Amino acid sequence: MARFVTIFVVILVTLFTVEMLVPVQEHVIIPFTSMLARLSAALILPFDPSVIAYGKVLQFKDTGFAVSIEAGCNGVEATIVLIAAVVAFPAGWGARCIAIGLGFLAIQVMNIARIISLFYLGNWNMEFFEWIHLYLWPALIMLDVLIVFILYLRYLTDSNPPAEPAVG
Amino acid sequence: MAEQHDVRQFLLFVFVLLIPCFALWTVASGPLAIPALGFSNMVLTHWFPDVVNALYVDGNKALLMTEFGEKNGNLVPLAGAEYRLGFQVNTRILTYSLPFYTALHFATQKKEYFQSYVWGLLILYPLLTIGLICLCLKELMVSLGTHFFSQQGVYVPDANLIGILYQFSVLIVPTLAPAIIWVWQNKDAPLLRSALRQRKQ
Repeated sequence: MARFVTIFVVILVTLFTVEMLVPVQEHVIIPFTSMLARLSAALILPFDPSVIAYGKVLQFKDTGFAVSIEAGCNGVEATIVLIAAVVAFPAGWGARCIAIGLGFLAIQVMNIARIISLFYLGNWNMEFFEWIHLYLWPALIMLDVLIVFILYLRYLTDSNPPAEPAVG
Repeated sequence: MAEQHDVRQFLLFVFVLLIPCFALWTVASGPLAIPALGFSNMVLTHWFPDVVNALYVDGNKALLMTEFGEKNGNLVPLAGAEYRLGFQVNTRILTYSLPFYTALHFATQKKEYFQSYVWGLLILYPLLTIGLICLCLKELMVSLGTHFFSQQGVYVPDANLIGILYQFSVLIVPTLAPAIIWVWQNKDAPLLRSALRQRKQ
């Protein structure tokens, strides 16, 4: 357990610090965040033509209400936590890579649901928007990471069942 | 199958508990932050005696009062100012770890609930205190600028370090800490036991 915690903390702090570096923000995080905004808009537009997207901003044409998707709202931190946990836990690299890939998808599906729900909530009521944006959704995203990690542990157990104790 | 049932049941209970836990916390978030505010106040007023006057509860938020004031739009020492300068600090962006941990804890099937819950809170509160100090450091850095960094004989962390500590305290710790405490406390609970059993052998 001590080994897991040590590796987990080292990877977590390292990746988080790297994420905060200006070149990483400029070349990776901001383009990725803009892509999330465009993807969210592409999902909304067929159902709601009153929405437009530019850069990392989603906006209602009629009311003018807009949300800007910023660092912390792109699921990157949750992905970093998942990567740190998966890499710190002893397993083969194939299983680790699959867990990180599928976990990233699970986090981003939740995150796009978060962005779209917050966009509509904000247009309706700012107090609800703030409450759910700042407090409830981060907890739900971390719950998502936790469930992915538990399912990953289950997968490891099922694919490598514990050896039967020797008899004789 | 029973293991999948465990996960489903846990998820269902978490969702059922999240709403009342967050609702209660919304009402009580001010008083819940008091212990962390008290310790943070002690640390900050001793660390920066010439800058920080006090940190105290103000409704659902906190007020960070400084030893500076404002005169004609300029930041000046309190003696020459018309009033004391203070900043509002949103403690909720840290304390929502409490209802999250509560929902995780009580959604898990286990024999004993109360004692481990108290232990969980005892671990969370020091983290809240550290987070609150980081929040205040960032507020002082942004609002006071050179007045904060040029204190004589006082160690002031580098601006980049304050920035990273603030981001880490706000973006990672409030959700990660309850999850880690929950995993640690429930490694022998049915939900995690089977998954972790193989690795222990």
